[in-house]
Parts: sequence; C-alpha cells; structure tokens
Amino acid sequence: MGWATARTVMLSGASGHVVDVQADVTQGLVSTTLVGRPDPSVSEARDRCRTAIVNSSLTWPSTRRVTILLSPADLPKRGPHLDLAIAVAVVSATDENKLEPLDLAGKVFLGELTLDGRVRAIQGVLPMVLAARARGLTQAIVPEVQAREAQMVPGVSVIGVRSLAQAVAVLRNDAEIPDAPPVEPLSMGSLLTWRGDRRTEELDLADVHGMADARFALEVAAAGGHHLLLSGPKGAGKTTLAERLPGILPDLTIEETLELSAVHSLAGAAPPAGDSPVRPPFRAPHHSATKASIFGGGSGRVHPGEISRALHGVLFLDEFPHFPADIIESLRQPLEHGEVTIARGDEVATFPARTMVVLASNPCPCGDYHPDVRESRCVCSEVRRRSYREKFSGPVVDRIDIVRHIAPLKPYELRDPLARPEPTAEVRRRVEAARARQAERYTGTPWRVNADVPGPELAVKWPLTAEAQLLLDDHLCAGRITRRGAARAHRLAWTLADLRGEDVPGRDCVDVAVRLRAGDPLLVSALPAAAR
Amino acid sequence: MTAVVAEEERLARVALNAIAEPGDPRLGRLVAALGAQEVYDRLRADVDLTGMRSEAGERLAATDPERILGEADDLGIRFLVPGDGEWPGGLDDLATVEPVNQLSGEPLGLWVKGPLDLAAVCRRSVAVVGSRSATTYGTSVAADLSAHLAGEAVTVVSGAAFGIDQAAHRGALAGGGQTVAVLACGVDRPYPAAHRGLLEHLAEVGAVVSELRPGCAPTRVRFLSRNRLIAALTTGTVVVEAAVRSGALNTANWAARLNRVLMGVPGPVTSAPSEGVHELVREGRAGLVTRGEHVMELVSPAGRHLHRSPRGETQGRDRLDLTEQRVLEAVPLVRAVESSAIARTAGLGVDTVRTTLSRLAELGWVESEGPRWRRAGEQLC
Repeated sequence: MGWATARTVMLSGASGHVVDVQADVTQGLVSTTLVGRPDPSVSEARDRCRTAIVNSSLTWPSTRRVTILLSPADLPKRGPHLDLAIAVAVVSATDENKLEPLDLAGKVFLGELTLDGRVRAIQGVLPMVLAARARGLTQAIVPEVQAREAQMVPGVSVIGVRSLAQAVAVLRNDAEIPDAPPVEPLSMGSLLTWRGDRRTEELDLADVHGMADARFALEVAAAGGHHLLLSGPKGAGKTTLAERLPGILPDLTIEETLELSAVHSLAGAAPPAGDSPVRPPFRAPHHSATKASIFGGGSGRVHPGEISRALHGVLFLDEFPHFPADIIESLRQPLEHGEVTIARGDEVATFPARTMVVLASNPCPCGDYHPDVRESRCVCSEVRRRSYREKFSGPVVDRIDIVRHIAPLKPYELRDPLARPEPTAEVRRRVEAARARQAERYTGTPWRVNADVPGPELAVKWPLTAEAQLLLDDHLCAGRITRRGAARAHRLAWTLADLRGEDVPGRDCVDVAVRLRAGDPLLVSALPAAAR
Repeated sequence: MTAVVAEEERLARVALNAIAEPGDPRLGRLVAALGAQEVYDRLRADVDLTGMRSEAGERLAATDPERILGEADDLGIRFLVPGDGEWPGGLDDLATVEPVNQLSGEPLGLWVKGPLDLAAVCRRSVAVVGSRSATTYGTSVAADLSAHLAGEAVTVVSGAAFGIDQAAHRGALAGGGQTVAVLACGVDRPYPAAHRGLLEHLAEVGAVVSELRPGCAPTRVRFLSRNRLIAALTTGTVVVEAAVRSGALNTANWAARLNRVLMGVPGPVTSAPSEGVHELVREGRAGLVTRGEHVMELVSPAGRHLHRSPRGETQGRDRLDLTEQRVLEAVPLVRAVESSAIARTAGLGVDTVRTTLSRLAELGWVESEGPRWRRAGEQLC
C-alpha cells in the first residue's frame, strides 16, 4: 500500500468544498512535500503531523519520499483543521504501520493535531459537516468536544475522537480504543459574568407603557419579517422597543437553528447549547464598528459579520445616520436578497443574512427635534438638520418596510390606571399564528415569511382583492408611493391579513400597510384590541 | 341641597322616563307646561293629551316606577330629577333650545352610577368628543388635552365610545382628574363591550350617566339624544377628529345651539378624520385649539387663564433700530475699515454713521481699532 486518500473540507464563507488529501509514500530521495496551494498554516502541518504520528506510537515514513497532495489543487487551503486528514492519509499509506488498508471512503476528517497526537477543537465544524453531507460523505470524525455540534446535522454519523491514536483505532475497528486526556473546548472562556447575549430574553413588552403605534409596528415587523425604521428624539424609547423585538419572534425551527449554529461555528463561537428551543439572536453593533465586523471579512479567514450572526433574528443599528455611508450602502444587498457576498482577491465568500434590520435614528444631530412635538428643545440649525436627514432618503431606507415616528411618553401616560401593556407572550402568540399561516401558504417554496417573497411572484400568485389593488394603484398614481413601495406595501398587507386571520388582504390591510410604510398615523381600529 | 323633590314627582318622572324615548319634544313640552305629576296622572287616566294618548296610558299602567327605582338602587344607580341638589344646572338650557334632528327638551331625569356629585363636577367641565374611527394622532391629542384639563381641575365629559372618547376618559384619569361618561344605553350596560373595564372603573371613581333607564339598549336615535346631554352638561365642547359624517358633529351642533363654547382640534389637512373639524373651524363656528391652555382660555371666565401666544425668542439684534441695524450690517466681521467706508456701504451720512457706531460700541456690537471699526467678538447670527 503506497498511497491513501482522506477527505476534509475547506470553507469559503458559509459554503464548503470537500478537499481530497492524498498521501503517497514511495522509495526515492527522502523528503516530504506538500502540494496543492497550502498556505503557511497548512505547510506547518507537515511538522505537526510527523511529531503527532511518532508520539502516537505510529510510524512516520522517515526513510521514504512522502508526497501529500491537497486537491482540487486550485483551491487555496488554509487552516489547521486539515491536520487530521493529512495524518490519517500518511499513516494509512505507510506500510510500516502494518495496517490493514484503512477504510477511508465516505468519511470526513476534521481536527487540528498537537505534537503529542491529541486532536484540538477547530472553528466551523458544523458548516464543514454540512458541506461534507452535501457531497455524500456520511461519517464525520471530529474533535470529541465538537461531536455534539456535528451531530446537529441529520444523516451523518459522528465519531468524536480525542487523539490521532483513537482515530486510527476507530478506523481499524479495534476492540479497544486507547485512552487520551480530554481536549479543551474552543470557546474563549468568559472572564466576566457577562450575560449580554441572553439579556434580551428577560425584557418584556409589559414594561413598555403607551406607544401603541410603535408596539403594533413591532408586531407587524415580527409577523412578516419586515425591516423597520424607528425615528424619535433621544430617550423616546427606540432601543427599549427594538430590544423587545426578538422576544415576540417565534422559536427558531430546526433548519433555522442549524443555519444559525453554522454561522456561530464559522465565527468561532460556541453554538447555542442545550436542548431547549433556540431563541432568535439580537445583535446591536455600535456605529463605530467596521464594515468587516458588520458584513463579514477580517484578515486571514473570512469571518461572518454581525448581520449574519443575527441570522433569523434582529440586527439593530442604533443612531444609524452615524454609521459610515459605505456601511449604510452595503446594507442594500442583505436587505434585498438576504445574503452578503464578500469578494476578496480570488476568494468569494457568501454568508446568509436573512435578518430583520431595525434602524433607529434621532430626528436631528442633537436628538431633540421632533416634527410632532411643539416643545422641541432642538438646537440644530436647519442646514445641519437637512444634511442629517439626507441619510434617510437613500436607497437603503427605501427598502425599509415600516417607518414609525416615536413620540416621547408623556408623564401622565404612566399614571393611566387602565393601562395594561400587553406582555410579550401574548404578542408572540399572535405573531406565531401569523407565521403559521405564512408557513402553510409558502409550503413547497424557498420562502418562509412574507418579507422573503419576491415582488413579482407575490403579485402573480398571491394578489390582493380587486378593490385593495385599486386603492394601491390610486396611491401609486398619485405619486404617494413608488413602485417598489407598492410591492412592499403589498407584502405588508399580506402580513396584516395574516395577523387578522383573513384569507386575502383587503382594502383596509392596504390602507394600514401604506400608512405603516409612510410613517403616517394609523387608525386606532387597526391596532390590536388590547392597545386601543 | 336646595329643594327636596316630592316622592310622587320623582316616581312620576321614573314612569314617564320608562315609556318615553329621550328627547321626545312632545312629552318635554307637556311636562314643562303641566308638571310631570300632572302629565303622569292624566295619561294614566287615559286623558287625550295632544297625540300622546295612543298607547301611553296602557304602557304606563304596566310600569311600576317604585320597582324600577328599587332595582336600580340595588345596582347602585340613582335617579336624579330637576330640583335635586345634584341636578346639573346646564341641563335647564335644554328646555328652551330649538330642536336638532327633531329632538329636544330637558331630560325627565338622569340615571347616574358613580361617586361624583354630578352638579358639582359639571360646573367646571368640558366635553371632549370625536370620531370612533380615530387615528393615533387624534387619540394622543385627545388624551393630552384631557390630561391638561384634569390638571386644571376641569371635568372631562365624553361618551365612552371607541377612539377619541375613550382616549379622553383615559387621559383625564391619567391626569388625576374627574371624568364623566354619558351613555346612549342603560348605565348598567357595558357598551361597547370592549369598554367594560373602562366603564366599571368610571362607575367606581367617576360617574356614568344616562337618560335611559337601566337595561335599555343603545339605538342610533339614542346616540343623537345622548349627544345633547354631553353638550348641555358642559361649558364647552372640543371636537378632536370628526369625519364629515361623524356623530361628534351632532354634539357640536348641540353645543352651538346651547351657546356653549365650541372648539376644534385641527389635523393634517389631508386627513379624512379631521375634515369635519376643519369645516367647523372654516365656517367660523368653532374656535381652533391645539393644546389644553387654549381650551382653558376659551372656557374660563374672561381674563382668566389667558394664553400667551408663542413667539420666537427675541434676539439682541431685534432691539436695534433700523439705522443701527443698517450700520451694523455694513461693519465688516474681521478686517476693520474706516467709518467713511462703512457710510458708503450703508448708504448713510458719515455723521450719522459715526454717532451710530459709538452707540453700537457702547452696546458692545462693534469695536474700534483707532479710526477703524469692525464687529466685536463672535456675532455670526
């Protein structure tokens, strides 16, 4: 036996390629060559693998010529996770190991090796296993601490190993698996009792007084997955509201959990643990964040950005006019298509970004101006206000479905003895019902919520009632909305019909949809009963 | 308590109230002319009273006023009649007013539930009414106004309907004030059903009032006759959002007929729910109000609660006279120039400019550099 092939995976973005690692051990000038576009981190694998093999009481063919090919040869290879596949291929190709030919077919090997032959945890196990499954590989050998993560992929049997020796023993079908010390998990242990990621779960809408209009906007946004713009003077409660949006979203489905976990895994963060249903994520990057941190990128391996880490959840950009213009502009693709593509040199990475984007802004630079509030303490000049507002009119804001102005709560509203702000759980129940209607309607399509459905498709397959369409056409003819605006109002109207349990959106749904989009006041009768 | 009303009189009114539709002008006229007791007796005796006879006698015979009163009492509902200390004086104006929609007349009595003394709270009261299909703009303005009125110890009267009405009640409650709901059905009936909580709360801390005896259902006509009570009980009526065919405009008509202060809150001129209000203001029938202070000014005795019109801040430069302003404009900001150059720019005589410049220097607007002048400090505005 002079050669062997083991398989592993290279990721670009959230998509993966299966890489064949072929090892050839022959007579000849003694050397070890690694070919197939390895980058330095892969070249180092030669030394790691040799030492690991030797320290695992296996034989490295030190008197032979060893050629290791990583194919396809044109794909750049990067990362230490190829170690395990390289070592297994070499071990299998070396006659001195006196092995039966190992059965490497249908298996994918993922793991970094230490010098003593232990297998370390790596980043991106979940998407790698997903990619392997897509290529018909049915068995994954992964670091033991990440077996649970890999097991989230249905249809793939997972073997977790602590060391190279264990991996070889498993391949040989040995009765006895050599023991090895456990390997630490990947995630960077937190120094502080930081609970940032789970904080939003404790927030409840029952604590939000008044603001019936904005609460309704949240409900509609959640029900149909629509993007939302909240504008209002500082302290009006924009952040308070936005943070409560994930709470009214339904639990993630199995597929959504898988996708989100894959993104987490790419980012090097531990996937959501436990068996409890996974809650939608909430990410709120500060306006000083870099473009790479929001959309993905970074030096070396391409990391998913905040927008992808908020997959199926909420990305909240507070004070969005303060974000650099190119970040705002870059929102266009994810807002429209639900994914981000990062092209860099010869590398193109695509990450999912089906995320509800919530933009919040002050109405002016000082934050005190409000067109509907007379007692405005705004100190901005009209010129500054205008240049600030220019950020609102760009193509990005045109892709926002719901625009709401939030007036600050008046002191007396807190003393209303009959106010019973609806708790999150009740609103979520309505959102879940509306989502269920959408799931049923879009069975057999790639879409899950109204916001996913492309405009032309919607117009043909799910039209409005005739009189509702007439109303929409009126708005269009009068120039009150753009054509894109009409398509978005059409989608919103469906969400409103879903919330009301109506089978097709009528005139009233369109009226509310147009008002929601234009930031106009709503009819009180459009609000949920508890908010009237 | 001024006069004590005879028990017979009260019972007669209960009985007549039970068989009559509110706002029936014929019965109103008869009671005004003969007294309730007399009308009751005659109708029961089957005397023909100008068309009222028909079946009135029979229905009266089948009515047991004492039982009605007793049952109401069990529900915590009292029956007020003219002459009672708690009878709101404003209702007397209804006796002489011209009919609207063929309805008119002072009510025979009022069924009241709630702890408030109706006469006392209606002495300083304003009706806040408007469309049931209101916008969130309208409800928030109605609540604002009502909370302000509540803070001024003015009672807010409204009809407990959806939209503006409920926002008015809630605003008054939240503002810590008193509020009265006037219904078009029996005060024991939660109508609209969704406002059960509101009505129960009002019956506990405010007052729920109706002309109709307990148990009666609301009808279209009853809403119209109810509106005359809302207008008559109060010193003024504010209409917040009323489309061109809104019941709130009927209340506005009554308020105008009763010489009450009629006020309207404007909305966006493109908004259908504000169209009726705009029409009221445009015809000169209603005064335009946009905040609680405006309402207070209009309903208070002359000279009280005067509202100062908002003005932009007076800036220092506004206090200069025309010549001074012209000279100041001509003084360069940075590079000092001689007064003759300033005079040329300003188009004024050199002497005038020199005296003006020294005055401006005293006021700190300009500074001199030998014979040259320039603006002092930072004055970019």
